[in-house]
Amino acid sequence: MILGIGFDDPLLVGLIGLGFLFFMIFIGVRVVFAAALVGLFGLVELLGWGPAAGIIGTIPHSKSSTYALSVLPMFIFIGFLAFHAGMTQQLFDAARKWVGWVPGGLAVSTVFATAGFAAVSGASTATAAVFSRVAIPEMLKYGYDKKLAAGVVAAGGTLATLIPPSAILVIYAIIVEESVAELLLAGFLPGAVSALVYAGIIIVWALYRPADAPPVTGYTWGDRARSLPGISPILVVVVIIMSAIYNGWATPTEAGALGALVVFLLALLRGTKLHTIKDALMEAAKLTAMIFSLIWGVLIFVRFLGFSGLPEAFTNWILSLEASPMVIMICILIAYSILGMFMDAIGMLLLTLPVVYPAVMALGFDSIWFGIIVVKMAEVCLITPPIGLNCFVVNGVRPDIPLGKIFRGIALFFIADVITIALLLAFPEIVTWLPELMRANG
Amino acid sequence: MNTPTSAPEAGGVLGQLDRAMRPVEDLANLLAALAIFTLMVLGSAQILFRTVFNSPIAGYIDLVELSMASMAFLGAAYCQRMGAHIRMEILIGRFKGRTLWGAEIIGTLLALFIIGVLIYHGWGHFMRAYELGDSTIDAEYPVWPSKLLVPIAFAIWWVRLFVQLLGSIRLFHDPSLEPVGIARIQTVAEQAKDEMDHALGEDAEGGK
Repeated sequence: MILGIGFDDPLLVGLIGLGFLFFMIFIGVRVVFAAALVGLFGLVELLGWGPAAGIIGTIPHSKSSTYALSVLPMFIFIGFLAFHAGMTQQLFDAARKWVGWVPGGLAVSTVFATAGFAAVSGASTATAAVFSRVAIPEMLKYGYDKKLAAGVVAAGGTLATLIPPSAILVIYAIIVEESVAELLLAGFLPGAVSALVYAGIIIVWALYRPADAPPVTGYTWGDRARSLPGISPILVVVVIIMSAIYNGWATPTEAGALGALVVFLLALLRGTKLHTIKDALMEAAKLTAMIFSLIWGVLIFVRFLGFSGLPEAFTNWILSLEASPMVIMICILIAYSILGMFMDAIGMLLLTLPVVYPAVMALGFDSIWFGIIVVKMAEVCLITPPIGLNCFVVNGVRPDIPLGKIFRGIALFFIADVITIALLLAFPEIVTWLPELMRANG
Repeated sequence: MNTPTSAPEAGGVLGQLDRAMRPVEDLANLLAALAIFTLMVLGSAQILFRTVFNSPIAGYIDLVELSMASMAFLGAAYCQRMGAHIRMEILIGRFKGRTLWGAEIIGTLLALFIIGVLIYHGWGHFMRAYELGDSTIDAEYPVWPSKLLVPIAFAIWWVRLFVQLLGSIRLFHDPSLEPVGIARIQTVAEQAKDEMDHALGEDAEGGK
């Protein structure tokens, strides 16, 4: 590599390191190894082998052993348990009884059911998979357009990452050293707005083409009331997590732990077998190991970046452009949407934030607001070609609906997402209002 | 995401090493899983003791921070076997035969190097804590057992990477062989199917 050649300019070393990192990631080296390796060699170049190796030897343990990160395994475990407890059918039934009467009623119900499920899960693709089976057959039975039925399920899955508990928002908070509680709280309204915009666009579309998305009627208020006990565990989890974060009567970790306990007891109550719960725990442990590896790997790289001075230089360059902050923000968002087509959302955020975030702050944007925006952008990439994993998931469950049709069905929701992002750009209060209220009360 | 591929009856030293490592990795991941379960109980208990009995668990934060190492590291090798450490597959996913195995060999060698460095210096980090008798600030729990988990977990990870290196070299030598000890790359469609089978399989078991 560049050892011994002796570049005097740390900035140049930083740039070369960044180039190598992206090259290695592009040829398929796992992100944790690529990031840690570049971090090591960069630090060696700047500080010498002894100090560099000494520094990186302490990073995995010291960066992982923090209380703030302990919320991650709890949220991940809730998500895996939620599938075992099998609450999806009840959610969909309740949603159709309450909102099935509007134009496009079943599609709107699907949006609200996926939003509800998002409150116990942070997993986009898994949510899409489950609702493909629950909601699509019902919609097709009532003569819904196939494109719409498939599209709404794929798009509904993406709501999981904004509505708490969301692992990716926790990771953002840790990386930029913001309050985990504030970010989680901040995600709630934008998640709800995304759901409402989805619902709104379905209703408008259904008014134009009523035959393709008929309402379902005939439910009494008694039916509606009786649908609530089935979804009460989800309401309990939402109340625990939101109120704990808002009022501060428990830390996010404790709230996550209690939420997990509730879902765990519910799963037992519903006769979930012990080996299934063990599977959920093993899956949660695997995902936890993956995310923590990514975190310490990238933090080794970040330590090197800090020494190189690259983030400051990038910030100064952005400021020297003297373009309007909003224009730069839109450019950053477009860059993210391109990158997101090829990369996993968590990896993308971890790798880019150390350089991009200081610049965004220098432009005067709110850090919590920016977190919500980039996470929303990353989610949009889950439904757009070429990867669009959620669409593949729906196609996997319903091979009778061709992929091309699903991607066409997504168009409607892509428009909805663009509207949502525009709303968040125009009215940052949607994001910042709840956290500010919390700060004012605390 | 990838799936681990190894014919269960695959013979040879590589097959044996692969199978010998599996229970070790499973056990380490299970310990991480139990730590997660314990944290769930501990966190809930802390709420109960603090709000109902007005006596929070002593040293709770220290305990959680020390236990984080088990959740963060013990599953790393299991995750490697399952091919779940993320990477960008847009290019390597298109490679076939020798090109693919060559790329895998390079990536795995880099991984072996960096994890090797981290084992060595993670061990040093542990030894310092052990020799100095380092303890947490609040409850004064010893720190070294938590730090020891890094070299242990990473050593298991290193062996798994070594198995994958041998598996890739073997296939580089002769791509027509039955794969042993490697994680096969899935296409997006296969990945989606896995997610789906996973979510639905469990939904079918748990719900109705």
